[in-house]
Amino acid sequence: MHKVPPEAEIRALTGHQFPGGHYTIEHWENVLLTGCTGADLLPGGLAHPAALFHLPIVGSGTSIAEMFALGQAESDLSIMIESYEWEFFQPLQEEREYGEEGYIASAERHDDSEREYDRIQFAFDVSAQDRAVARSTVTWHYTRNTL
Amino acid sequence: MNCVEGQAIPEWVMPEVPAERMRTMAAILRDPNPLHWDRDAVAALPLGLGRRTINQGPLGLSYMVNMLHAWAGPDSIRRLVMRFPQVVLDGEHVVARGTVTAVVEDQGERYADCDIWLEHAERGVLLEGEARVALT
Repeated sequence: MHKVPPEAEIRALTGHQFPGGHYTIEHWENVLLTGCTGADLLPGGLAHPAALFHLPIVGSGTSIAEMFALGQAESDLSIMIESYEWEFFQPLQEEREYGEEGYIASAERHDDSEREYDRIQFAFDVSAQDRAVARSTVTWHYTRNTL
Repeated sequence: MNCVEGQAIPEWVMPEVPAERMRTMAAILRDPNPLHWDRDAVAALPLGLGRRTINQGPLGLSYMVNMLHAWAGPDSIRRLVMRFPQVVLDGEHVVARGTVTAVVEDQGERYADCDIWLEHAERGVLLEGEARVALT
């Protein structure tokens, strides 16, 4: 049995701000990522939209490992994806510097008949030259004592 | 592009989800989760998945992105919402599919709102969600 973190510690994560920063999708990175998706490289320097997962996470000064740790994940294997929501106000481009900001939008405990888990929602904003480019909302479940 | 409610989006097929692409993706995403590159870690889970690695969420989602790009163009996507009722495993043959649920106009632009999903012949819908794409 794992020790379940106190609910108050999870709830207190709401509003947690990441440092923020900048990130550029390099050409080589876009080539490899696009290849992983099974697609051909997009025309005109467009970056594959799948970059909207890691671009704001890394650019805002955090990491998947830190996001796991903030929610006191029992292990990497205990995380379940609820949803990803991505909005694109402009297409992502390779070799362009973007600014990123991120924070924890909500953190709450759920205890239904089947399992106990903490639902943590991360929100990230991507901008360039003071204009909104994209927004990513990542919602994960930190399962407790299911493994 | 002409488009009507109820129209099916041409499917996009991933014939065999490759394990080695999950490894490359893990490095790009800086994702330490061994489920994406360690078959033994997956086999140890009480889920009965066997010795197969689990595709990253963004990678499964990308198959639907590729479907939408092929249909509406490489800069057409405005919004994606994706849920993950089941995992995608290495070696699986999966098909991205979608239908147009509405054609809408907003501030002079035409958009198609779509239901999208990733399907496996035996296991059914693995991923599901909605998308909005610009119609040019």
